[in-house]
Amino acid sequence: MTDTILEVQNLKKHYNQNGGLFSAFKGKENVIPAVDDVSFYIKEKETMGLVGETGCGKTTIGRTLLKLIPATSGKIIFNGTDITHLSAAQFRPFRKKIQMIFQDLDAALNPKMRIKAILQEALTVHCRLSDAEIDHRISELLEMVNLKKSKLSNFPNELSGGEKRRVGIARTLAVGARFIVADEPTSALDVSIQAQVVNLLRDLQKELRLSYLFISHDLRVVELVSHKVAVMYLGQIVEMGLAGRIANAPRHPYTAVLWSSLVDKKSDESIKNEGNPNEGQWGVFDFERPNVGCRFAPRCPVYHAKNRPTICTDPATSPQLQKIDDAHQVRCHFPL
Amino acid sequence: MKRYRQHSIEFGNLSDVPFWKTAGPIDLVYISYGLLVVLLVFVSYVLGMTGFLPFDPQEINLELLMAPPNTEGHLLGTDFMGRDILARLIIGIQAYFLPGLLAIALALALGTCFGVLAGYWGGGLDTASTYVSNLLNSFPRLVLILLMVAAFKPDIYLVMTVVGITNAPTVASLIKSKIQFLKQKNFIEAATALGLKNAVIIIKHILWHNCRSVLIIQATLGMAEVILIETSLSYLGFGVQEPTPSWGNMVQSGANYFMQGKFWPSTAPAMAILLTIMGFHLLGDSLNNILERKRDQ
Amino acid sequence: MIGVPVLKIENLRTYFYSSSKQAFSRAVDGVNLALEKGETLGIVGESGSGKSVTALSVMGLVTAEPGVITGNIGLKTDGVQKNLLQDIEDYVKITNENGRTVEVSKDNPGWQRHIDRVLRGVRGKEISMIFQNPKLSMNPFSSVGKQIKEAIMLNTSINNAQEARERTLYWLEQVKIDSPRLRYDNNPYGLSGGMCQRAMIAMALSSEPSVLIADEPTTGLDATIQSKIVSLLEELKSSVGVTTLLISHDIDVIKTLSDRVSVMYGGRVLESGPSKEILSAAHNDKHPYTAALLASIPTARQIKAKSYLQAIKGDVLDTINLPSGCLFYARCHQVTEQIKMQCKHQEPELREISSNHNVRCWRFFNA
Ligand SMILES: Nc1ncnc2c1ncn2[C@@H]1O[C@H](COP(=O)(O)OP(=O)(O)OP(=O)(O)O)[C@@H](O)[C@H]1O
Ligand SMILES: Nc1ncnc2c1ncn2[C@@H]1O[C@H](COP(=O)(O)OP(=O)(O)OP(=O)(O)O)[C@@H](O)[C@H]1O
Ligand code: SF4
Ligand SMILES: [Mg+2]
Ligand SMILES: [Mg+2]
Repeated sequence: MTDTILEVQNLKKHYNQNGGLFSAFKGKENVIPAVDDVSFYIKEKETMGLVGETGCGKTTIGRTLLKLIPATSGKIIFNGTDITHLSAAQFRPFRKKIQMIFQDLDAALNPKMRIKAILQEALTVHCRLSDAEIDHRISELLEMVNLKKSKLSNFPNELSGGEKRRVGIARTLAVGARFIVADEPTSALDVSIQAQVVNLLRDLQKELRLSYLFISHDLRVVELVSHKVAVMYLGQIVEMGLAGRIANAPRHPYTAVLWSSLVDKKSDESIKNEGNPNEGQWGVFDFERPNVGCRFAPRCPVYHAKNRPTICTDPATSPQLQKIDDAHQVRCHFPL
Repeated sequence: MKRYRQHSIEFGNLSDVPFWKTAGPIDLVYISYGLLVVLLVFVSYVLGMTGFLPFDPQEINLELLMAPPNTEGHLLGTDFMGRDILARLIIGIQAYFLPGLLAIALALALGTCFGVLAGYWGGGLDTASTYVSNLLNSFPRLVLILLMVAAFKPDIYLVMTVVGITNAPTVASLIKSKIQFLKQKNFIEAATALGLKNAVIIIKHILWHNCRSVLIIQATLGMAEVILIETSLSYLGFGVQEPTPSWGNMVQSGANYFMQGKFWPSTAPAMAILLTIMGFHLLGDSLNNILERKRDQ
Repeated sequence: MIGVPVLKIENLRTYFYSSSKQAFSRAVDGVNLALEKGETLGIVGESGSGKSVTALSVMGLVTAEPGVITGNIGLKTDGVQKNLLQDIEDYVKITNENGRTVEVSKDNPGWQRHIDRVLRGVRGKEISMIFQNPKLSMNPFSSVGKQIKEAIMLNTSINNAQEARERTLYWLEQVKIDSPRLRYDNNPYGLSGGMCQRAMIAMALSSEPSVLIADEPTTGLDATIQSKIVSLLEELKSSVGVTTLLISHDIDVIKTLSDRVSVMYGGRVLESGPSKEILSAAHNDKHPYTAALLASIPTARQIKAKSYLQAIKGDVLDTINLPSGCLFYARCHQVTEQIKMQCKHQEPELREISSNHNVRCWRFFNA
């Protein structure tokens, strides 16, 4: 039987961004709706892929799940417990089970600690271990992530990007998490190590019954590792469904655009010619005119092909995430 | 030209080399000098307690006023009351050590607390602590000390308390800006995600790993500063009070005779001040270099 | 214009010293690369193989010691003609034992001053670089727009603040940053990873350099923007003729953009040649490492079947403890009995196997 390990209901996270030093006087404060009404669930031993434009709020979701930043509203239920409003102390036991592989690993490792100390710390946060056990576990971890022992005495800034990434993965494994937010774990790695990491994550999933929220820009890897995939656009999930369906039979225009822009899918010439109807208008949080209707409309080929129907841009009829068949949801008036 | 040498051509068994083997030779010289100064302080206490001094530092000998060095067993001579200068010099350091530690402890403790509050949690606390430190900084320190001394009594501990408190804002702002810089990298966030308590993050990740050099330098500079402040206060008559010897009041009382060609009562403590201050500066510097493995970077 | 290398790197060696191990880490160990005018040279290779360090060495930005110890970096553009590592012998003394460097003396402060002088007017102006880690490479306390504006005023003929601002907005738009006017005032830390990356690209392009070094310009970007950046770089190449050194792990990006490719491993170039030959799966004559690397790319079939990916087995290379034979020997699947001893004990040279295609492997010239 597979249980739901994590459920997110109507999660919102709005950043307040001051427009400079004197914004308090000008009374102008921009609210960036980085995550806007996101709901999903992840089952045990399941991987959910999360893809979307840069800046659409993927990392923000991850950070909110780990309660590194407070959610503006919404509910996060982990393993049957509502963790949204737990205090830091109450939440601490959960930290053992929810971990994150950070996107910006350069900054996620204390620059003054040696790799060994970093791993040692992760091993001993939640349990006591003898020195011999620590050494044993560290060499196990190093083997898992294929890192040389000689790097243990190095400082993070002496490692290459890939080596740092593997230290970060080793660290989450050291804690013994059950649910891991993997924020672009394969970016900045060479394809062979990427393959290793992907294999590793899948092996660990089988062995340790892990669940992942797998954030990545590498669509092929996402398709490979995920059971289901959610596609985000400007803070909202626009499509969610089984991985194969999303990749091969997308229903939302953005998903289609995303997958068709895979660099290798086109021949050299077509890159230049591929025209978007509205080149200039990239996804924008337009602060003067808060987003109305479908957020993707300005860039949407369907919207332009259909001669800009008002239903797409009317705030009253902004599209909702609708089930179009079981386990497939789309936020679009005209699904493909 | 800096030399880098690969010692073993047989690779494979390159184990970790202890830090003192990799430290620069200059740093080792400095640090041994600094440690020697610290050691002498302890020797002074031991000698003072066991009474194993050449003479009693308080013993007045009216027959031998201002005796030049090396008369009747007085190695450094005697002062204007015929007291043995060497003995007073040895005991003199004690006038600074405990009060100095008090000043340093106060400055570091208060400064770190406020710095952490302002830098780590920020917001209102930041604003409040900025106001407090601005207030403290806007007061000339010497005036504050004189006021306190005039209001209460010329006591070195009181003076050092004031010095400690007025030094705190400097430490606080150093710590605060360091933390704000560190927060921009997100290893603090990563440590939270790991499940570490705030206290551990602050003490281990922030203070120990990233601020210790700041603190060490502040502490050693603080000790040197304490000696200087006491010396200047002695000139105003507010330093350590006679008959308790301090290098400051020894210089001050001896200086009256300097013009008469009797240089020894003031020169000896002045040299002691110079060498000690230098010792603390070098100690802080080299400790910092060694701990941070400056040569690695 | 064939045969006029704009940037020619010869025998570049950049070492780091680990004082706790008292040994050198040979990050870049004798790299040769040449970029001809208007061409794009791709560099692929294992992470940790010294790609970024090579790029940083060209820019004179290696701060760790001892850093660059030998080499020639010839730069030949319309404005400048010089060796960027000019007089390096005066600052570095190397002692070899049994063919290995065991001691290096370097006057690092002097070298830094010297190279800053040599690179004045080159760094940022003739050669500019897109860094691998944008957040660390931009000043966190100043707004993105201001930083680009300053770069423009420093490196181009524009010296009117208003005009520079317009130009900044133009470049921000070029790299598809949404609402550039709004982002102009953002600090790097208020931007998401991808946006910061694009700001960095805008900054590098804004000084209109002759040589562009792009260190993983598309990592951390989503597929649509990746393809936009790729076409932006392509457009720059065809219209302006920017000579580009492109470092990337994304084989597809390299395949699309570059004319030639060099494959790096353990601080050396193992193979270099036309990208079509090296990166196409059909072409068989390539270095075993390149072949294994290409085999790890997930194929459509693997994705469909959700099968395991094919990673290169064995330990990654330890740059402190380089083997004496072929660097790839321990992980190589193509060693035959016949060449085994050579592979193990003697390092092959980079030699031509077909026109313009060089490989460092015994398999191809076992005489
Ligand atoms: N601390 C912050 N203050 C203000 N705005 C922020 C902050 N952090 C993120 N944002 C904004 O929130 C939005 C979402 O950012 P986030 O980092 O979640 O994006 P992302 O989807 O992870 O992008 P990427 O793929 O580039 O990593 C962005 O527009 C970003 O500018
Ligand atoms: N400042 C430094 N001090 C010591 N060693 C370093 C330093 N910078 C890099 N190295 C080492 O040099 C080697 C090459 O690093 P480099 O960053 O060039 O790799 P890379 O090929 O760019 O890898 P990636 O693709 O992961 O970015 C690595 O083994 C790394 O550990
Ligand atoms: S030289 Fe030998 S070990 Fe090296 S790649 Fe070629 S066949 Fe493999
Ligand atoms: Mg992100
Ligand atoms: Mg790199």
